[in-house]
Amino acid sequence: MTTVESRSSVAAVGERWARVDGRAKVRGELRYAADQPVRPCLDVAVHRSTRPHAKITAIDTSRALAAEGVVAVVTGADLYAEFGDRLMTGPAFSDQPCLAYGKVRYVGEPIAAVIAHGVKQAREAAELIEVSYDELEPVHDVDKAVQGAPFVHDELRPSIVFGDLKHLRGKRDTNVNYEYNLRKGDPSSVSGTTVSYDFWCPPTHHVPIELPYAAAWCEGERLELMATTQTPSYVRQSLADLLDLPLNRVRVRTAPLGGSFGAKMYDRLEPLVAALAWTQKMAVKITATREEAFLLTTRHGCAVAGSMTADENGMIVASTSDVRYDTGAYADVGPRITAKSGLVAPGPYKIENVRVKSRCVYTNKPSAGPFRGFGVPQVTWAHESLADELARQLGEDPVEFRRRNMLREGDIAPVGTPMHSADFLGSLDAVTEAIGWGTPFVKQEGTLVRGRGVAVGVKAVLTPTISNAVVQLNQDGSASLLISTIDMGQGSDTIMAQIAAEVLCLGEGDVRVIQADTDVTPYDTITAGSRSTYHTGNAVRLAAENMRDKLVELAAERFGVEATDIKLTSDGLVSAQTQETVSVSELLHGHFGARGTTLTAEANFSTSWQPYDHENGLSPQVTEHWFAGAAAVQLTVDTATGRIHIEHLAVAGDVGRAINPAMVEQQLSGAAIMGIGHALFDQMVFDEGQIVNGTLLDYQLPSIKDMPDKLTPIIIESPHRTGPFGAKGVGETTIIPLAPAIANAVRDATGVRITTLPLTPERVLTALEEQP
Amino acid sequence: MREIELKVNGLRRKLGVADDELLLDVLRREFGTTSVREGCGVGACGACTALVGGKSVSTCLSRAARFDGAEITTADGLPDDDEVVDEFVANRAMQCGYCIPGFVMMAHELLGENPQPTDEEVVEHLEGNICRCGTYSEIHAAIKAAATRRAARNERATA
Repeated sequence: MTTVESRSSVAAVGERWARVDGRAKVRGELRYAADQPVRPCLDVAVHRSTRPHAKITAIDTSRALAAEGVVAVVTGADLYAEFGDRLMTGPAFSDQPCLAYGKVRYVGEPIAAVIAHGVKQAREAAELIEVSYDELEPVHDVDKAVQGAPFVHDELRPSIVFGDLKHLRGKRDTNVNYEYNLRKGDPSSVSGTTVSYDFWCPPTHHVPIELPYAAAWCEGERLELMATTQTPSYVRQSLADLLDLPLNRVRVRTAPLGGSFGAKMYDRLEPLVAALAWTQKMAVKITATREEAFLLTTRHGCAVAGSMTADENGMIVASTSDVRYDTGAYADVGPRITAKSGLVAPGPYKIENVRVKSRCVYTNKPSAGPFRGFGVPQVTWAHESLADELARQLGEDPVEFRRRNMLREGDIAPVGTPMHSADFLGSLDAVTEAIGWGTPFVKQEGTLVRGRGVAVGVKAVLTPTISNAVVQLNQDGSASLLISTIDMGQGSDTIMAQIAAEVLCLGEGDVRVIQADTDVTPYDTITAGSRSTYHTGNAVRLAAENMRDKLVELAAERFGVEATDIKLTSDGLVSAQTQETVSVSELLHGHFGARGTTLTAEANFSTSWQPYDHENGLSPQVTEHWFAGAAAVQLTVDTATGRIHIEHLAVAGDVGRAINPAMVEQQLSGAAIMGIGHALFDQMVFDEGQIVNGTLLDYQLPSIKDMPDKLTPIIIESPHRTGPFGAKGVGETTIIPLAPAIANAVRDATGVRITTLPLTPERVLTALEEQP
Repeated sequence: MREIELKVNGLRRKLGVADDELLLDVLRREFGTTSVREGCGVGACGACTALVGGKSVSTCLSRAARFDGAEITTADGLPDDDEVVDEFVANRAMQCGYCIPGFVMMAHELLGENPQPTDEEVVEHLEGNICRCGTYSEIHAAIKAAATRRAARNERATA
């Protein structure tokens, strides 16, 4: 027996562990969903609506059916005959059919599906379907939609997912499917300096480079599905509801995603392939083209009419926001976005008098859903432009103005919930110091004018949610982790392994995360809203702690000592009293008497909230925790061409504790680069409801050429009292303040306040010309 | 349908292809090369990039029939000790990883033509590939490091 020195200082959390499967990703050997082996599948292609709003009067499928290689043609009416109202799915409202029947509500809506031998045959046959329409008046923009008819839906039909929408069931004659109101104090009762503007953010698209894909087939009396989804647990429930099956007869598998950013969640291609596989008893698959991916979901276009008032001491005393989210033809999760983002519309400031009216509005466009930031970047565009302009009109430094008014630890946010572990001040100070705020710079060089800008952002984590984790410790000391969190590039497989390894004193590479499979991996609400590090991370930590307790008990039995006497170290289990030691491998072998055995432990982690009051929108705990981030930028504007060039962009996010700092930095940078696109050029352009730039030839995305000369990601750590090792999420934090930081720098450089995104050269030039 | 011969990652094969079949689909179906992927279908994102005779090709735009006799390299066929792959891994030049093999092949093309590219030349060369996760800084650093390593190796070889 040897005396072992505890090596509990060998840590996993806080280490820059390499990304799981990094080499396989670089070599292209990692299998994404469409690369996974499944049984041979027939291909599906859909025929799409050419009208934004119309009754379907007839569908002729005869030519398609006669085409070479075609096995079946299925219309929305066929599916409705089979499923009735169960055909309508959606996380907030049961309003979206996977194939339209009776009526179409946007250009590009699927009406009929062709099943054929081969993608080419399916796509060609889909073109042969002829649909007759009786056109209805469409509604294209939110301002017209809120005023009254035409109505996109005759009646509101809340789904059973969100209990708090029940009171809306049966509501008619409206395009507003949800309204959140925040009422605190009375903004009209105060006076001072007021700035007010109308802001607009256009709809944008996520464009993950991996295209959406789904395959489904029947396995006896079960439905099996492999798809690109970040919500396998939701999809299982949704398909079980659609097919009227118990949950154990639906199996949803997924794979690492080639990006998503919100595009691959809730009901996308999955209801369609499931309905086709189930009704036709065929194995089918569908891969969206890039053009089709643009039709599956978008980020909400959003209008905000906002104002902010400061008193003579430079304190913000009032804020008003009229927010209208354009959710398109189907609500998706728009009502949640409307509320969860509406409640931060005043920004991260102490304000006594607040009015927010936030509405989710149907129009005849593709459905909008979640996108990195969940609607918060759109309202941040408004409150950070207003705060900046107010400071400038008061003749004050925008940073000092923000510092004075900012929410600090323990302060109550306008929504009524206290702030904890949301370091706005630290984030703001870090980014402004990084770009040298306050140091002189050359203001003008020829046609180039230079400016600096800053913005901060606040977001509530998705609450309430549920996560489960199972740890399987193998007899040789390696571990398998069963969770339903999806690694889509954020690195969750690596950091969840680090959390388990930290508790169990394991090393890099010792913990493998099992791909989500609803037959195998336990329920997890969703991988979204920056919730996984906190929620699933806590479930993993608790499961690993349960495992540690089991090991300690086994060792106590083996050594014949009290469990309190045993410590788990990286060398195994050690008794403080006897100095006896045993490796995990020996311990498990001794317990089971065989090699290759496994010991299993599991845990659940759920969070709760106090629903906001439906009259005033207030709640003492509207969220589990808050995210805080900031961006500061130095840029030039070419007054001859309108071009903006970013010289230095610094971004910071408070992550509580960085489980893997290298990956946190990549998330901070990645969100900022995506934000540069939203600030400068990304936008979906519609003409009478038709997308006119829905290809990657026409839709501009940030390339390596759009990188700032210098990009500085900064990790702020203000540990959360209940986070796993103090940690919380990060993925959305720096996209939130990005666009206003850039616009505020443009204002600094040119004196012009632009309130419509993106800041294209044309828009900048026009604004310069119209400058008073 | 016509018969062509392709040499993919050193493996030579005769196979029949339809006149309008894309090189992307033939590489994936016939050779199992998971590293070439459709991202846009219009040659605008670079996820489908392969090297044909050392030159980058958007396989989502290329008809396979035109490549009779070609030598094609894809990222999953690179040797185990490939410097570009090693430096991408070491520099953490991957997040979701979907677009990265395309960048690896662009890096190979660049370093084949220009062993010591300047920062500007790296940027110019990669302009047509999109990484939606925003891994550009890491990719850039990986290519510079690979160039340095390759130069050192060549120096040793000629010494």
